[in-house]
Amino acid sequence: MKKKVIGLIDGQSGNIGSINKAIKDIIKGRPYQLKIIKSHFNYTSFDKIILPGQGAYATLMSNLKKLKIIQPLKRYLENNSSYLGICVGMQILSDWGYEDKTTRGLGIISGDIKKFRNKKLIIPHMGWNTINLNKDDTIITNSFDKKDFYFVHSYIFQNIKKSDVLAFTLYGQKFPSIVKKGNIYGVQFHPEKSHKHGLNLIKNYILKS
Amino acid sequence: MLKTRIIPCLDVIKNKVVKGVNFKNIRVMGNAVEMAKYYSLSGADELCMLDINASYQNRKTFIKTVESIAKVINIPLTVGGGVSDLSDITDLLNAGADKVSINSAAVKNPKLIRQASLRHGSQCIVVAIDGKRHKNKMKVVIKGGREITKNELITWAKQVQSLGAGEILMTSMDTDGVQNGFDSNMLKKVTSNVGIPVIASGGVGSLEHFYLGYLTKSTGLLAASVFHSRKYKIKTVKKYLSSKGVPVRL
Repeated sequence: MKKKVIGLIDGQSGNIGSINKAIKDIIKGRPYQLKIIKSHFNYTSFDKIILPGQGAYATLMSNLKKLKIIQPLKRYLENNSSYLGICVGMQILSDWGYEDKTTRGLGIISGDIKKFRNKKLIIPHMGWNTINLNKDDTIITNSFDKKDFYFVHSYIFQNIKKSDVLAFTLYGQKFPSIVKKGNIYGVQFHPEKSHKHGLNLIKNYILKS
Repeated sequence: MLKTRIIPCLDVIKNKVVKGVNFKNIRVMGNAVEMAKYYSLSGADELCMLDINASYQNRKTFIKTVESIAKVINIPLTVGGGVSDLSDITDLLNAGADKVSINSAAVKNPKLIRQASLRHGSQCIVVAIDGKRHKNKMKVVIKGGREITKNELITWAKQVQSLGAGEILMTSMDTDGVQNGFDSNMLKKVTSNVGIPVIASGGVGSLEHFYLGYLTKSTGLLAASVFHSRKYKIKTVKKYLSSKGVPVRL
């Protein structure tokens, strides 16, 4: 049987150790193989791509450009291939990022990444918070509704179409904590740091789609 | 709703969790990797580990311990103690720390906070502040409280925020180690003057102390002895807080 190929992009935006280990544990003994993407890649040879990110939007975009990952990744996403973006890996799916400087994103899910509006909030939004599912999904199933995940971010997805928001979270305001368009998923929290529910989410993403 | 974080803190020498009052009568409480794994499984929201004897030889073993812990837990890990420059920060992040805590080095060289947060992002730079009352003023102290600096506590807390710290780990040297409760007064002064998350540290001895810590608007509550001695399980603390109406992850 042909093994499914999972790509994990190292965009030099934070440590990929935890997510790498989580994926390895999940695919152990199953017909999958994991490849780390650090440079230009053939987008047709991957069944799934995961991009974790930490830090700034502009930094991740410029890293992906420097590493020559951006073009094949864009083609991959425009093909509606299976993708999971984590934190900034989710945010760059948008049209524009307004962190530090205005940066053009991948333009896959329309919307902008802007700071939390409420000036009185403690920023970053750091810690465990609840996700509320807007609808049932084959991967993010009902079992994840009202569960807590670990967040650390100061910017959120805004001006997004309602139909692209799979789950929202409350912190001073409602904001999208999971976005989805076709086979492309983005989560604002860190499933790799979110104990058992986080690991189950990664597991569902890998095994169910 | 954002949950208040319960954070066990491991004071580590090489690969052992220790307990010692002012570095005297140091007692081994257990193996660091095993204790970290236990806390992660039993409901800790985050883990903090500090190298309390960061000599050159001990450091190598400590970094290996960080690597081993990062492999067995899947909650955020903050690592500190003996961080003196940018390369120390990079080493710890590469070993698997999610956040690095800087203390004395930041006091000596505040620019380090800016450099570190520009390089790695504010979200992974924690500034640990040790505060102590001195001549009716709250001052910043270093070397475990033995050296009083010129810095006034609130001015320093505001400064670390503007330099790019993502979080403050606030320990009161007036209450640390005596289990009479957090320094509510000092914590409230800090939380009301900064807009970044503050972790309360120093002095927890009872369940009510956790609740009083929550009332200071600290978003993380750190404790060591009450957990290591098995006086309280993390679940016990969370159930208690929940019964008082505090949002916690159960």
